[in-house]
Amino acid sequence: MPLVAKARSFLRNLFFTRRVDADLEREVQSHLEILIEEKMRAGMPAAEARRAARIEMGGIEQVKEQVRQKRMGNWLPSVLSDCRYGFRQLRKNVGTTAVMIFTLALAIGASTAIFSVVYGVLLRPLPYADANRIMAVFEVTAQGQPSRLADPNFDEFRDQNRSFQAIAKYDENVTSVSGGVQPTRATVAQVSPEFLRVFGVQPMLGRDFNEDDAKKGAGRTVLVSYGYWRQNLGAATDFSQSRLTIDGAEYSVIGVSPDGFRFPADVDLWLAADVNGEGQSRTSHNYSAAGRLRDGITVEQANRDISAIARRIHDTSSERGDYLLKDGMVLPLQDSITGPARLPLLLLLGAVGFLLLVACANVANLLLAQMSVRGRELAIRSALGAGRGRLIRQFLTEAFLLCVVGGGLGVLGAFWGVAGLVALAPGNLPRLENVSINIPVLVFAVLLSTAVAAGLGAFTATRATAGDLRQGLADGGRGETGSRRSQRVGQTIAATQIAITLVLVVGAGLLGRSLLKVLEVSPGFRVDKIVAMDLSLPWVEDPKVKAGHAIFYADLIARLKQIPGVRKVGAASALPMAEGGLADGMFLVMTQNEVPKTLQDLAAVSQQEERAGIADFCAASDGYFQALEIPLLRGRIFNESDGANSAHVAVISESLARERWLNQDPIGHTIEFGNMDGDLRLLTIVGIVGDTHEYSLDTPPRPTVYVNLLQRPSPAITVTMLSDADTQSVTSAARGILRDLDPEIPARFQTFSQVYSASLRPRRFNLILIGFFGIAALLLATAGVFGVMACAVNRRTREIGVRLALGASTGQVLRMVLGEGLRTVCLGVAIGIAGALALTRTVESLLFGVTADDPLTFGGVTLFLAGVALLACYIPARRATKVDPMVALRYE
Amino acid sequence: MSPEQTSLLQGTLDLLILKSLRAGEMHGLGISRRIQQITGGTFVVKPGSLFPALHRMEEEGWITAFWGESENNRRAKFYRLSKPGMKQLEAETKRWSRISLAIGQALETS
Repeated sequence: MPLVAKARSFLRNLFFTRRVDADLEREVQSHLEILIEEKMRAGMPAAEARRAARIEMGGIEQVKEQVRQKRMGNWLPSVLSDCRYGFRQLRKNVGTTAVMIFTLALAIGASTAIFSVVYGVLLRPLPYADANRIMAVFEVTAQGQPSRLADPNFDEFRDQNRSFQAIAKYDENVTSVSGGVQPTRATVAQVSPEFLRVFGVQPMLGRDFNEDDAKKGAGRTVLVSYGYWRQNLGAATDFSQSRLTIDGAEYSVIGVSPDGFRFPADVDLWLAADVNGEGQSRTSHNYSAAGRLRDGITVEQANRDISAIARRIHDTSSERGDYLLKDGMVLPLQDSITGPARLPLLLLLGAVGFLLLVACANVANLLLAQMSVRGRELAIRSALGAGRGRLIRQFLTEAFLLCVVGGGLGVLGAFWGVAGLVALAPGNLPRLENVSINIPVLVFAVLLSTAVAAGLGAFTATRATAGDLRQGLADGGRGETGSRRSQRVGQTIAATQIAITLVLVVGAGLLGRSLLKVLEVSPGFRVDKIVAMDLSLPWVEDPKVKAGHAIFYADLIARLKQIPGVRKVGAASALPMAEGGLADGMFLVMTQNEVPKTLQDLAAVSQQEERAGIADFCAASDGYFQALEIPLLRGRIFNESDGANSAHVAVISESLARERWLNQDPIGHTIEFGNMDGDLRLLTIVGIVGDTHEYSLDTPPRPTVYVNLLQRPSPAITVTMLSDADTQSVTSAARGILRDLDPEIPARFQTFSQVYSASLRPRRFNLILIGFFGIAALLLATAGVFGVMACAVNRRTREIGVRLALGASTGQVLRMVLGEGLRTVCLGVAIGIAGALALTRTVESLLFGVTADDPLTFGGVTLFLAGVALLACYIPARRATKVDPMVALRYE
Repeated sequence: MSPEQTSLLQGTLDLLILKSLRAGEMHGLGISRRIQQITGGTFVVKPGSLFPALHRMEEEGWITAFWGESENNRRAKFYRLSKPGMKQLEAETKRWSRISLAIGQALETS
């Protein structure tokens, strides 16, 4: 019953507002009249009775307003009227409103776009069942770094652990595959049988791997990805007869993985590992590993478990040296994938947060300036019975209106911004394909807009309703626009803006100087005019087939040299800066007649630490050094005399010569590096070449051993062609030559400049974004300082007029106004420098060639920012000197 | 306004209005005078508190309002206790007795 009554009242109040109000009016009037009657009956004269009754009654409008506020559902119409009123208010100052909305849209849009990247890359769970139970498993090196696993170590992890319900090793590479619709370069992963179970995935068609598939000598089997099955196997449901030739060996297709499963990275085919037998060395780290935790096992328990096994291996192994594991560890797979991206992304998130703060400060200052004009309006409303709460709500409503419109536009902008971010983002940012404006990102945008609205609304409301509102009526709303206190609040806000902007611009400056420093580094090779062609041949052990590869390479290189415009042609197992890169390993210094028969013989020698060394292993042809213009420092590079049957030779890089043969001549020494390609013949060092930055410009060059590609052919190579002709014609000519030699081998072409600039993209990405945020913050802060100063001059127009009339010079007025601005700027700059010193430390690892407290950057940015801010002060100060005393005084 | 007039305790206004209406239907000023009378002049309810309370209680369904004639034939809005209002009065009375008893005891113990 009461519920029905309530609902009725609610609807009546909502829809018959006028009738309800008229009723209230009549009731209050009749109350007054009865009161007057009462007084008159008690003997008062009519006029006095009326007066006494009015006093006893209190303000009639206020009584009515109090009743209205108590009414059921009173909030709804009053919120609507707040909104209507807010709209009118915002429309009245179209210019200011547009600026505020644009500012909020920029800040909320940028924050949303950056958050979408952070969410897609860092936060969003991996797309597997109970993904947080999947762990990456690592060995830990003597230096304490996580590393991949050696086969026998993995086997012990697998057999002895009590933490994982499934654990698998995997490794991927790009190779040539034929047997489908056309030969392709496909990403192929070698995996152990439990691989799919680790990810909680079942084949969509066919069967999963089982233990027998991984036994030595088992029939070769392959699982294909959904996409590969559609494109290359014609989506046939019966693939029992399907055979694929991968790396020259034939595999039967046993199943198709479900759509979307491509782990570890865009894999097309998964092969059962170890059908050729397992590696025996505990120091060849051939595989990554992942496992799914048993129910009830925590990450820490698994960590202790794996660590114990690893240390046992370390203590009992017959192998020794830096490459032997020292410990083991597990890490949630998601963390291990996103780990390297975490710091740069959090940096961007922090930067955009700063931009948001600067933007909010600007809007707050604009609102504050508007409010000083609204003092009179507030006074009238409060005199008519509006409570403090009602006024506060008015301000909150206006802030919400601003943020709804600003946030809406911001999110629209973010759709466009995200597309830009993804296009700009470096290729090594994991999970980039997950980045989009999706529901969680929209929720973030809504929450952010709400928080901004609440903050701005609360700020303006407390500023506006502080003190005695009715004072505004007494002032008559003239002269004093805004009290001294609100001026001080404005200056504090402006100083904060300057401080935050300084931090952002210093950050951008440090990143910018780092990029310049990186670009100053000489890579050690030429980059322009080089066309690169990636191709791979089957991976084989058979020396006869290997010799065939060498002949093929020699043929290919000789024929490519005939292309018009091509000056030099070479080939190497990997280009500097390219994805993948070279493998590193331990080589041994040998005497000429000491030829090991097996890898076990090597293990014995490797116990003598003074004979071991560590270097990258690169198979290259002589043309490679010529095409890339890697300088020969001493001795010679490979030539025709280094045939397949003559002594194997090696060229080493300068840093290796310095590191391993200090004060000696390395030329003529012999080394053993057969653990890298299975060929145990000794290598005689014949030359020293210049260092190259193989991985990136910001890591030091790594010591490298180059072997002759034509003596020791590697299965995957990149051919480099230095050419004056245009890329297009060289590419098509080279494609034709390759097809002519072997139509089954697919190739990929790109220019070396593309590879090279891709390696700089992470740095450029961070710099462009932080720079953009810095510039936006700078513009906003400048506008903020200008606004506050202009407001101050306005407020003091009368005072300045009086001063001028009493004989103050324009110089004195200018100094007075500028002095006030100078205080604000200095305060902001001081706080900013302190903040920047504290914060830039966290990004030290992203810098190159500059320290986090680089004085040049700090000094330059401070001077620049202070200059811009003072200019923003100067313009209003100039205007102050132009005040005409007569006009200012007549303004009374 | 005599100094003994006490400002109303939170929640007691409802109780006093309900109690006044127990005696029969009344208009706003009547209720106000009645409260003054039954509390021996301790409480004087001003229109600014009375009307919001009356309208709220009407919306709660404890009292019903209708237009009628005053003793001097003036149109006035009258209020009357409803059935839920009776229940509310009983509940409030019990609650109040409990509180005043407890406060009384508390003040007596030295």
